[in-house]
Amino acid sequence: MYHNQNPYSQQQTRMSQPPPVLSTKDDAYLTDALSWELLAAKKAHSFASQCSDQQVKQQIEQLCQLHQRHYNTLLNHLSTNQQNYDNQMPHFHN
Amino acid sequence: MNNNRSSYGGYQQQRYGGSSSPTIKNPSTHFAKGTEFNDRDRLNDMLATEKWLTDGFNVFVRETSHQDLYNDVLHILNETHHACRDVFNLMFEKGWYSLHPEQPSHIADHYQKFSGYQSQFPSQGTGSYQYPSGVGQHPRDY
Repeated sequence: MYHNQNPYSQQQTRMSQPPPVLSTKDDAYLTDALSWELLAAKKAHSFASQCSDQQVKQQIEQLCQLHQRHYNTLLNHLSTNQQNYDNQMPHFHN
Repeated sequence: MNNNRSSYGGYQQQRYGGSSSPTIKNPSTHFAKGTEFNDRDRLNDMLATEKWLTDGFNVFVRETSHQDLYNDVLHILNETHHACRDVFNLMFEKGWYSLHPEQPSHIADHYQKFSGYQSQFPSQGTGSYQYPSGVGQHPRDY
């Protein structure tokens, strides 16, 4: 049965914090936030290209780069999670 | 001072109009005044975007499960707040944002009132405890 194969319900020691595993809620928020960041980056780049004031243009282009960096930080949690997941929950899918 | 009264604090200028309260504002930098979407509109739209993002990430960080994700999302929230601040500062620098100082007598009254409320503090502690989860956050590094 499902609950018998879940290693987290059979822990020998009590966990003080959640293990580095993405929850369903984490995944939902991550995908939401990735969409926010991509939209913000695209909008900033588009706005920057339309600006006539150089100072405003530069500030808005920096925002574009900030949101691209945030996007990558968030995306990293989706790509590395699978490894943690496999290492720590080897029988979860069986 | 300046001829551009169409600042974002316009309604406040009416509210304070006629009082002795001065306006804290730079001379307005030129921008297109027609029906087109101008530089000030673009900057204001980005400020609204950053503000909206801080709301989203505030909820996200509160709902995160494990510590690594919590740290990264809190960091992103922090940087997004800084981005808001930088845009706000640029708008102020450009003279597109004005402030009005509160009257010192009002501030003094409120200080008096809330100093008195300190006698209602229920704890004898010094309040020096720091939450360990917040330690190690870099306030500004973008």
